[in-house]
Amino acid sequence: MLENYFPVLMFIAVGLAVGGSLLAVGRLVAPHRPDPRKNSPYECGFEAFEDARMKFDVRYYLVAILFILFDLEIAFLFPWAVVLPDIGFFGYAAMMIFLAILVVGFVYEWKKGALEWE
Amino acid sequence: MLFSTAVFYVFAAILVFAALCVITVRNPVHAALWLVLSFFTAAAIWLLLGAEFLAITLVLVYVGAVMVLFLFVIMMLDVNFEDLRRDFRSYLPVGAAVGLLVLLEMVLVIVAGTAGAGSAGSLPAGSNTQALGRLLYVDYVYPFELAAVLLLVAIVAAIALTYRRRRGAKVQDPGAQVKVRREDRVRLLEMPAEKRDG
Repeated sequence: MLENYFPVLMFIAVGLAVGGSLLAVGRLVAPHRPDPRKNSPYECGFEAFEDARMKFDVRYYLVAILFILFDLEIAFLFPWAVVLPDIGFFGYAAMMIFLAILVVGFVYEWKKGALEWE
Repeated sequence: MLFSTAVFYVFAAILVFAALCVITVRNPVHAALWLVLSFFTAAAIWLLLGAEFLAITLVLVYVGAVMVLFLFVIMMLDVNFEDLRRDFRSYLPVGAAVGLLVLLEMVLVIVAGTAGAGSAGSLPAGSNTQALGRLLYVDYVYPFELAAVLLLVAIVAAIALTYRRRRGAKVQDPGAQVKVRREDRVRLLEMPAEKRDG
């Protein structure tokens, strides 16, 4: 089974090698003369007003957490689809109940307007 | 076999290094990125164990979604990291106690595992995903439906905690825009032509 993943390992190795060597060549060949002016934060010519850190709107968090929940739902679907011929109607019904419970949540968030961005 | 053992040691070394970086780097955003690397290498080690489905799920769910959430939380909190670092040593007793407890549990698991009590046994025939599916949707169907209820509770809780309707936001309703008719916008007035006097 592991032989099937050998190309993936090669992809990771080649990707790391290409990315790392490009960075290394840039570091070695390019001129590197830092001074305090160059290293200071730049904001269109004037002094920086505020910290680069700023608060995110909490609505991004809501979208992200709803995404994770339905992502998990999809994760449950994969092994189900693989073994569907083996588990028969019982497994099919189990997944339909699972999906029905989650559709309740989906209808709730849709009607509540949590998917609207305004 | 020798090659996969070598690959395991490479990934294990990366995992230990990344996990160390998670707890030692000063910037919490960097710590979250190191955590992404440790999840990824842990997925690779699971793959070496033959747990394909769990490995892919770890990458999809944890690296793809949960870590994004972690980064959101780090950026949303807007904590002053200098203040947090000031009383760092006061957390030492609690941290040391939790660390010792985790160490003790892991030693117990490893000792019990080598004694043969908690070993996983031989892998079933066929792919790991198929074995998981046969168990999950037939033998463990009740916990499986409970998982759906848990997800539902999480959806409702997330909406209840973070959903705020913005006041006075100007939004367009595409449905109303499409449904509008000519009569709603243009009014034709019948006016008789006026005669000029004289």
